[in-house]
Amino acid sequence: MSRQHIPYYVGALILVFLLAFPFVYTANDYPFIMHLLITGFFYAILTASWSMLAGYAGQFSFGHMGFMAVGAYTAALFSHYLHISPEATNLCTEYAFGDKWLVISNPVGVTSSTLTQDCLTQAKAAWDGKVVVENMPVWLSILLGAIMGAVFGFLIGILVLPLRAAYLALFTLGFSEILRATISAEIDITRGQAGIELPTLFQNGITLFGQHYDKTHKLPPYYVMLGLLLLCLGILAWIAHSRFGLFIRALREDQDAAAALGVNTTRYKVLVFVITSTMAATAGGVFGHYVGIITPNNLVILQMSLVVAMAVIGGIENFVAAAIGAIILEFTLEMLRNSFEIGPITIDMTIWRLVAFGIILMLVLRFRRNGILSPLIEHFTRGHVAKETVAKRMAAAGDAEEGAS
Amino acid sequence: MTNLAVTKLNKNFGGNQVLKDVSFRVEGAELVGLIGPNGAGKTTLTNVLDGAIKPNSGTVYLNGERIDQLQPFEVARAGLGRTFQVTRSFRRMTVIDNLMVPGLALDHGMSARQLREKGHEVLEFLTMEHLRNDLAQSLSGGQQKLLELGRLLMLDPDIIILDEPFAGVHPRLMKIIYSYIERVNDEGKAIILISHQMDSIFSLCKRLLVLNYGDLIADGPPEEVRNDPKVIEAYLGIDEEEEHYTGVEGGETSEATS
Repeated sequence: MSRQHIPYYVGALILVFLLAFPFVYTANDYPFIMHLLITGFFYAILTASWSMLAGYAGQFSFGHMGFMAVGAYTAALFSHYLHISPEATNLCTEYAFGDKWLVISNPVGVTSSTLTQDCLTQAKAAWDGKVVVENMPVWLSILLGAIMGAVFGFLIGILVLPLRAAYLALFTLGFSEILRATISAEIDITRGQAGIELPTLFQNGITLFGQHYDKTHKLPPYYVMLGLLLLCLGILAWIAHSRFGLFIRALREDQDAAAALGVNTTRYKVLVFVITSTMAATAGGVFGHYVGIITPNNLVILQMSLVVAMAVIGGIENFVAAAIGAIILEFTLEMLRNSFEIGPITIDMTIWRLVAFGIILMLVLRFRRNGILSPLIEHFTRGHVAKETVAKRMAAAGDAEEGAS
Repeated sequence: MTNLAVTKLNKNFGGNQVLKDVSFRVEGAELVGLIGPNGAGKTTLTNVLDGAIKPNSGTVYLNGERIDQLQPFEVARAGLGRTFQVTRSFRRMTVIDNLMVPGLALDHGMSARQLREKGHEVLEFLTMEHLRNDLAQSLSGGQQKLLELGRLLMLDPDIIILDEPFAGVHPRLMKIIYSYIERVNDEGKAIILISHQMDSIFSLCKRLLVLNYGDLIADGPPEEVRNDPKVIEAYLGIDEEEEHYTGVEGGETSEATS
């Protein structure tokens, strides 16, 4: 086994461990640990895709959680307002297709049972359970979320074309904040701070390998999120090793020089926004359906900072390191929630864990600018390059000496 | 055959006219020197030619195709390559990846493997083969200049603008740059060489263009340009102390004008 293959073997071992984990782990905290891992995978997708955008392409965007929210809210609004009914409600806007009706519910904002209900709820009350109204397919809402993420990524990519560094960061931060404020303000449609509910990923449960899992079981969403993470990492790996990856790194290094060498910088800058925002939006849609609710708090600046910090600590220029860093940090942050006592003093770790996290971030930025995991991976994968270069340099120096004598 | 036709090119920034009705042609494998005092408009002219700056008026045709309204990447694909006054290598990319960028950006009909082999040949020619997997940021200033030249070999344009290729370069590397210019010129490419090092300009170029405050004040063989009163005035008018450094009279090295 050569040294440069070690990271690949370690990666394969981690993958086998993650694939087997839901079947071999049987402790009482199974749902909690599974939830942590699903959330970790969610952040890993966001962090890895952001690492491609910021670390590879040099587009230091603060709008990534905004793209995530675009996907989640598109899925939520689609699922919340559109339904399939076997009978016409005669109250809502509705269109017949085949022998069914596509029912569009009307927005009424945050309501309670004493206030006005939306048209579909009224229709259901009149039917008294005799008519079963179906939600739209979850896969379709996630797909629409992904498409909307791509559209927003395209628009933002076009708008930030002339912007670089701090200006780009501020612009994208502005986009994210405007989106959050709009969602919070449009209570009638989005239900504002109360959040909007989404149907679960598998509303009727799912049977896998002869075993039925109900809709609250963590195993099916675990594999969905892990699958999405692997798909995203696969796409990112393909990009990183393709001419696209080469061009966006050139874009990061010097946009003008890349253009002078024939690289269509506009196309690649926009494309990298589209690809990474689509990934963030897809993750948002899946996570929204998993958690069952999305609120504007999901895109506060603290959440974006968390993604940035995870990427920085893992290694901003290596999306695999960033993804692994995100899972480890999500796990660590949650595990550190347990408060403890030192004599008479109670340490409230729900607060202090963030302090510890901040200190780690500052130390990494000061002493390990390319993260903790990324240099470790490079140590193995590029170690032979350094050795080869030293040998060639020595050979070149030897030739020069011979020539001189 | 390379044919660059620049006609009545004007460029101003606010009220400052940087290029004034600049017109010239470069035909075939010419090696043309572009000189002028600081602020003469040499780099602006380069930026207009490569599409980074759009002119206020005038036209630029390369091999019959109008390029003055194209984007820089389109100009590069049309056949005009350039280096920068201050080296702009892709610092956190390896030397070979630096070369692969222009190779892959242009569809030369070569596979990635063939391009990589070509990259190795280019590095061997530039005596940098042993550095191929090093990051560009670890190279010396002179080696980074060579790397920029190597990228142009991969781009394979019809006309090359070299902006101060000799500035701050070790004499050993200067020889490599000299042989580079000769090789590229022998391959039939036209070269516009911008330099303040008059000995290099006079020894390499058969034709000189002289810019002064945006005006093209001379265009001709070095001997003719050297004795042109307008050129002498442009250089000697800067500072009397620089008179013997400018080298316009004697063709000596000039650092004073850089």
